[in-house]
Amino acid sequence: MTRLINAEFFKLRKRMMTWVLAALLVGLVLLLYTVLWSISGRVTRFGEHNEFTGEDLRRALFLQGSVPFALQIAGTFGAILAIILAAGAVGSEYAWGTVRLMATASSGRGRLIAAKLVVVAALTVAGVLAAIAVAVAYSAIVTQVDGGGDYGFLTATWFREQFAAFGRTLFVMSPYVALGFGAAVIGRSTLAGAGTGIGVAFIEPIVSSIMRQGGSPWKDIPNYLLNANADVILAQNALPPALPRFRAGQEELARQHVHSPEGAALVLAAYAVAFIALAVFVYTRRDITASSG
Amino acid sequence: MSQRREILRTEGLSKKYGSLTAVADLDLCVYAAEVFSFLGPNGSGKSTTVGMILGLVRPTRGRAVVFGDDVARRPWPALRRVGAVIETPAFYPYLSGYDNLRALAIALGDVPPGRIEQALETVGLRERGRDPYKTYSLGMKQRLGIASTLLRDPDLIILDEPTNGLDPAGTREVRELIPQLARAGHAVFLCSHLLHEVQAVSDRVAIVKRGRLIAEGTVDELIGRGQHLRLRAEDNGALARALGGVPWVTGVEHVDGYVRATAPVARAAELNRALAAQGVYVAELSPWQEELESVFLELTGEEAGA
Repeated sequence: MTRLINAEFFKLRKRMMTWVLAALLVGLVLLLYTVLWSISGRVTRFGEHNEFTGEDLRRALFLQGSVPFALQIAGTFGAILAIILAAGAVGSEYAWGTVRLMATASSGRGRLIAAKLVVVAALTVAGVLAAIAVAVAYSAIVTQVDGGGDYGFLTATWFREQFAAFGRTLFVMSPYVALGFGAAVIGRSTLAGAGTGIGVAFIEPIVSSIMRQGGSPWKDIPNYLLNANADVILAQNALPPALPRFRAGQEELARQHVHSPEGAALVLAAYAVAFIALAVFVYTRRDITASSG
Repeated sequence: MSQRREILRTEGLSKKYGSLTAVADLDLCVYAAEVFSFLGPNGSGKSTTVGMILGLVRPTRGRAVVFGDDVARRPWPALRRVGAVIETPAFYPYLSGYDNLRALAIALGDVPPGRIEQALETVGLRERGRDPYKTYSLGMKQRLGIASTLLRDPDLIILDEPTNGLDPAGTREVRELIPQLARAGHAVFLCSHLLHEVQAVSDRVAIVKRGRLIAEGTVDELIGRGQHLRLRAEDNGALARALGGVPWVTGVEHVDGYVRATAPVARAAELNRALAAQGVYVAELSPWQEELESVFLELTGEEAGA
């Protein structure tokens, strides 16, 4: 198993796609910081009730809020990139026909697919860590330049909270990554995996909002889908209020009567396990023929 | 043969895709240090059979036993001792030839240091080993495929159309390499359309048609080497009638201006005397050089060049 993991690492490390996806995530963090920092000096008041000032926004970009903001980016846009990575890791093997090469060189198909999942997970973690590192570095500059050099917040509690937020974000990404991976296995292509994963990530919130307009049982169905439960988990991350929020906040979720964080975690875990189990089942049982790659 | 070490055995191996039978009740046996060629027209189930031997395709019935293990149930460690190039070799296009072999070596785990360079050297790719695979010609890809089989020093090498895309020099190199592999103790399971090549390198041959085994034996057995004589006389009709009068001549045919007699080549002189005794004097008498290709075409009912 270790050698299969090493082989997968070797292949993905040498692949341009991996670095492009990492660069996109890091670039997005840099872009958002730059945009927000530059507009913070121009806006007067903003927010739903005009409750924030440009100064609030600038302070939100300080070091204290850097990790939750990076995690918000990673949990939304990063998840999309992770879906592409997962789908590409398995789908390309079918496109190139290397699925046969690796299947005959590995000590079992179950182990091979497990090795791929481990490597995709590890690279996803590395990507999120890279996003955090860039955000921390950028916000350290903002903090220094704008005179926010008070580092009293660096307590054990703060570090514990950041670590928890990191875990929550990765947990929320897992069913999406598993979906992209599983769909790539079943569809035998990167396009099938990426298309399904990204499609669900984008379309599900739209469909859910339509369902919520209807009466029972329609309005309750979104509570058992991915997006609403992901929102519940990510809402636990302490994002500075002045920063833009890409997902539903606590108030909105309360209105929607979505699950408790524990319930949401159960739903997301069930999806992740189901998608992975399906991928493993199909990959280990299905014939690998010339037409399948 | 029974004293030789058995490497691969298929027992009633069958595969159906819906109502289509791709392989039916295939019984084969491949021994150590032999070149076993597996022939058949397109769509005759060769690749499906190879897929089942490699554990890529699940048999509907029967089993493929490699080094004593049923590969459908226990593919590893049996497959660790098998190197295979299946149809067109497939590698990672963004990696160099060297890095492709390195990725494979990491996955295999027991490839000795220097083996990658050695394998590239063996197939004549050392100079281009660091170039991206996507820049390789088809012939180079085939060579890399063969190099990949040599990485683990396998006991069984499966080569599916190994000379596909190779130039004449490359084809000759592969043709020379295959018996070398057998002499080095590897069993070679060869699928090829180039029947002249197969005839030149094979110890035994199996021919399949529509998934069924229709002939198996040594090349000599299949082409009837030593069992046919080619004769020509001024009057081939009289020659054929005279041959019919010889009790140990078991068959007479007219082929391309010659008479083909089914009789032991070792008794050619005796046959000449018997014909002369009947007043028939032959202008030519020689062993009939049958080609595997014509046997294949006759057995499979294929048109030449199909």
